[in-house]
Amino acid sequence: MSAMIAGAVPLSGDITIGDHVVRKIGGLSFNLDTIWATLIAAGLVLLLGLIARRALTKHPDDHVPTKVQLLWETIVAEVNTQVEDNLGKVQPYVAPLAISLFFFILFANWLELLPTEINEKLHLTPAPTADTNLTYALALLVMVSVWTYGIRQKGLKGYLKHFVEPFPVLLPLNVLEELIKPLTLALRLFGNIFAGGIMLSLIGLIPFYASWAPNLLWKLFDMAIGGIQAFIFALLVVLYFGMAGAGHEEHEEHDSTEKDPELAH
Amino acid sequence: MASPASMIVPLSSNFLVPNGTFFAELFAFALMVYLLGKYVIPPINNAMTARQDAIRQQFAELDEAKSDAESAEAEFRAQIADARHEAARIREDAREQGAAIISEMKEQAQTEAARIVEHAHSQIEADRKAAVASLRNEVGTLATTLAGRIVGEALEDEARQSRVVDRFLADLDASSTSGAS
Repeated sequence: MSAMIAGAVPLSGDITIGDHVVRKIGGLSFNLDTIWATLIAAGLVLLLGLIARRALTKHPDDHVPTKVQLLWETIVAEVNTQVEDNLGKVQPYVAPLAISLFFFILFANWLELLPTEINEKLHLTPAPTADTNLTYALALLVMVSVWTYGIRQKGLKGYLKHFVEPFPVLLPLNVLEELIKPLTLALRLFGNIFAGGIMLSLIGLIPFYASWAPNLLWKLFDMAIGGIQAFIFALLVVLYFGMAGAGHEEHEEHDSTEKDPELAH
Repeated sequence: MASPASMIVPLSSNFLVPNGTFFAELFAFALMVYLLGKYVIPPINNAMTARQDAIRQQFAELDEAKSDAESAEAEFRAQIADARHEAARIREDAREQGAAIISEMKEQAQTEAARIVEHAHSQIEADRKAAVASLRNEVGTLATTLAGRIVGEALEDEARQSRVVDRFLADLDASSTSGAS
């Protein structure tokens, strides 16, 4: 692709990928552009949330929702349904986590579409999801939550037992699966958005009088990708929670059928 | 590329390897989840529940009003039907009463007419009898007196006198019946 473009248009410079504005603090490197983009995305989500909340508290008896509230309610209702379908009931932790993930990833993905490139080297609002630091962090938080949820639902013994089910010989595969889940979560999101950024950089090499059409088309497409990736991430998180808690309900039902004869006595 | 040094150098700038940003991102996202979960999502959930409750309540009120209206309509229809029945009954009664009154009046009139006719008949009969009796008394003496004067013969004989009177009356009867017919 780049070779084709390179052949078609004069290149003004090389594309550098994975470059960040790095500052070293206490021996650790921090990608400042990722961090400020994260803050912008999170700030926008919180702002929208607070706007919706303000409209709610201003007219608590008026049941006609505002537009921002409708946006939130659509996502909240959808996530609640998913959580209820997969976990049996709306967990007070899982639903907010999935909702936050969806909104945050969506805004983070769409940040990249803002035309804030100073030059080829510096994009003021790069998608923070195009940095593995963010996606690893999200995946780690999610998987630790999932494991905690599974252990709390089934007990440590019950949770560890599912690693040797249905057959003990599958133990390595089951362990591997648990380790792959966070990696795929993180890298799927990262890869999609990172590729979108590369595409935008490539299109940026085209002279401005010709680049607007591919730019427009790709940004529209990238918006769809951003939405889909946010949706997939949130949905998979809910599914992982459901898988971690699965089997618990059957256990409970078994218990209740055992209890019933006792109640009958 | 094959030397260990060249393997290590790309690692430090490899975009697949996390650096300190990881912790910043972890903290930022956890904070955002906490804030959303504490301040934004519960009120939205509450609002949705409240609206659903309000809608459910409105539906219940609607159902109630509808059933009220239906029962009122049923009552109205029942009353209309009752009124129609009542009206029909009253009309029927009136017709029967009218017929009874007419027949009664007719009967009374007929009896009255019969009674009047009967009375007239008996009156006529009595008059006739009285007339006959007075004729019997007066015509006899009158006739005998007249005849006695004419013939100059005293018709003192009672038997002959009454015989003459009877014959006269019989003639009178015959002439009156033939004249009437």
